Amino acid sequence: MKETNQYIQFFEAERKRIDAGSSVILNARRDEAVAAFARLGFPTQKVERYKYTEVAQAFAPNYGIQTRAALEQELSDDKVAALYGTLADVNADGVTALNTMLVQDLMVIHVTAGEKKEHPVQITNTLGAIAPLMQNRRMMIIAEAGAEVQIILNEKAEAGQNFLTTQVTEVFVGEGARVEFYDIEDTHERCHRFHQVFANVAAGGHLTHTVFTLAGGVTRNQTDVRLMGEGADVQLLGCAITSGSQHVDNNTLIDHVAQACTSRELYKYVVDQQSTGAFAGKVLVREGAQQTDSQERNANLVCTEEARMWTQPMLEIYADDVKCSHGSTVGQLNNDALFYMSQRGIGPVEAHTLLKQAFASEVLNEVPLEALRQRLAVQVEKRFRSCENCKLCKK
Amino acid sequence: MLEIKNLHATIDGKEILKGIDLTIKPGEIHALMGQNGAGKSTLSNVLVGHPAYTVTEGSVTFNGKDLLAMSPDERSHEGLFLSFQQPVEIPGVSMVNFMRAALNAKRKYQGLEPLDAGAFLKLMREKRQIVALDNKLTSRSVNEGFSGGEKKRNEIFQMAMLEPTMCILDETDSGLDVDALRIVAEGFNKLRTPETSAIVITHYQRLLDYLKPDFVHVLIDGRIVMNGGPELAMEIEERGFDWVKETLKD
Repeated sequence: MKETNQYIQFFEAERKRIDAGSSVILNARRDEAVAAFARLGFPTQKVERYKYTEVAQAFAPNYGIQTRAALEQELSDDKVAALYGTLADVNADGVTALNTMLVQDLMVIHVTAGEKKEHPVQITNTLGAIAPLMQNRRMMIIAEAGAEVQIILNEKAEAGQNFLTTQVTEVFVGEGARVEFYDIEDTHERCHRFHQVFANVAAGGHLTHTVFTLAGGVTRNQTDVRLMGEGADVQLLGCAITSGSQHVDNNTLIDHVAQACTSRELYKYVVDQQSTGAFAGKVLVREGAQQTDSQERNANLVCTEEARMWTQPMLEIYADDVKCSHGSTVGQLNNDALFYMSQRGIGPVEAHTLLKQAFASEVLNEVPLEALRQRLAVQVEKRFRSCENCKLCKK
Repeated sequence: MLEIKNLHATIDGKEILKGIDLTIKPGEIHALMGQNGAGKSTLSNVLVGHPAYTVTEGSVTFNGKDLLAMSPDERSHEGLFLSFQQPVEIPGVSMVNFMRAALNAKRKYQGLEPLDAGAFLKLMREKRQIVALDNKLTSRSVNEGFSGGEKKRNEIFQMAMLEPTMCILDETDSGLDVDALRIVAEGFNKLRTPETSAIVITHYQRLLDYLKPDFVHVLIDGRIVMNGGPELAMEIEERGFDWVKETLKD
């Protein structure tokens, strides 16, 4: 409660300034957001979807929140105004409410009907500050009917400071549209990150959402996808590589509302040292969502005695003509493979690295964007190799 | 080059090797025969340092060094190679990356620079031809989706890449048809130098027709009970291991 009040007091004191420095589109949702946040507060671990991550504690320290007092130019867009906040329900989640209450910047990627973006849109956020910093970000991706777009979000942070970010992304995939959204976090142990993605996919539309956590501190990614029209298709991919005291929690919901939709989900974790990982993925097949075809899988490699992994695949079906599967595994490196490699002269460090890379490669191979796949393969290899064993940067 | 003295070994507390003595000089081929459970594979596993086995007594000297004090990868660098009875599949690790890691680890041990990509691939190409291993196989994951024969050929290919001086062929003939057996055996013969030694573990004469052992040893219940020349293998092929047991009783 103390943590919740701290943010409400900040908001009340700064409200005028926040409003003055923000678009009317964002301001229109603030009253509802503050009321919801005051009521909900930060979710405790008793809340099903926050079972694996302690939230209030992450928000307790006094982070600086920079606010802007004036807006250079008003963003006036009826479509954006009509859609903003329609997927991210402030009344369902305290973190969503907090973000909506404080947010000043909205990034919109709007692709009009039939427009096909030839090149990916790449966004790099690099956190840098001389004191602890909190950022609240907002993004909207609107792909109208038949539009196609690929978006890469690179999350980075300069060393030496504590950072806390909340981000809420709303994705609207129109009829027959295709959106690929890649979210790649490569930060450090002093970063806390709460990213929520809410997506609606219309009939015949396709969404690929890929989350890579290469490095970070505490990460909670939430991805909620609703398949709203017949023949909509979603692919969720995730890969988390954790070490030290890192914690990564991916929480997903795939909601089959319409019939004849398909969903594929694959999340893999390599959990090393004292780090912890959590995956909870729910597939909900609603009444009437006949001919649903859904496959969900979570596979995890736990490398040490101290590392921990929680996994919870869930399937809830209210239709009778569906094809669904879900499963998860938690295991260690294959001893037979390690011995075989050692007999060929491959030392334990190199053998472990090769096997971990092999484990992660299954997710990499699914990444549709070729150039990014290659880049990620290098980043993953770098991540697994300690600097003295890495030849990647050297000529 | 390899001297095994009074070797005892256990797995899960059960004694399998009960005092093995065997000396192998450079260039010699020794066949090790015996029924299932006699300890043949245990001996090869102990020599290459499989972590599941515990040596309780005895010593093994390899090129004058204490073999049992070395890690499995060091033993490999020193020139010891095991052709596995059941080669392991490693999904996601390509043959190229696997072989490069193995070869460069050995070069590092020898104080040599790693091979550059071009030289490495050229070497792969050359060695591949010795066992007629398809190019497609070397671009796949290690042993994944290989047939039984392809796996065995892949073992000999790896042997060709690493150029060991002491090879242990653990039932390399099992699961091979006549043609595959010939390719594998001829591949091994092509790789042999006058210094290459081998322990060939087999149930049958047929592999020995190609590899021509200098000595044949029969293993029963963790001990070498009979030694002889190539004629011993033929005798066993004809009369079976029961004959060996009968002979021992007399």
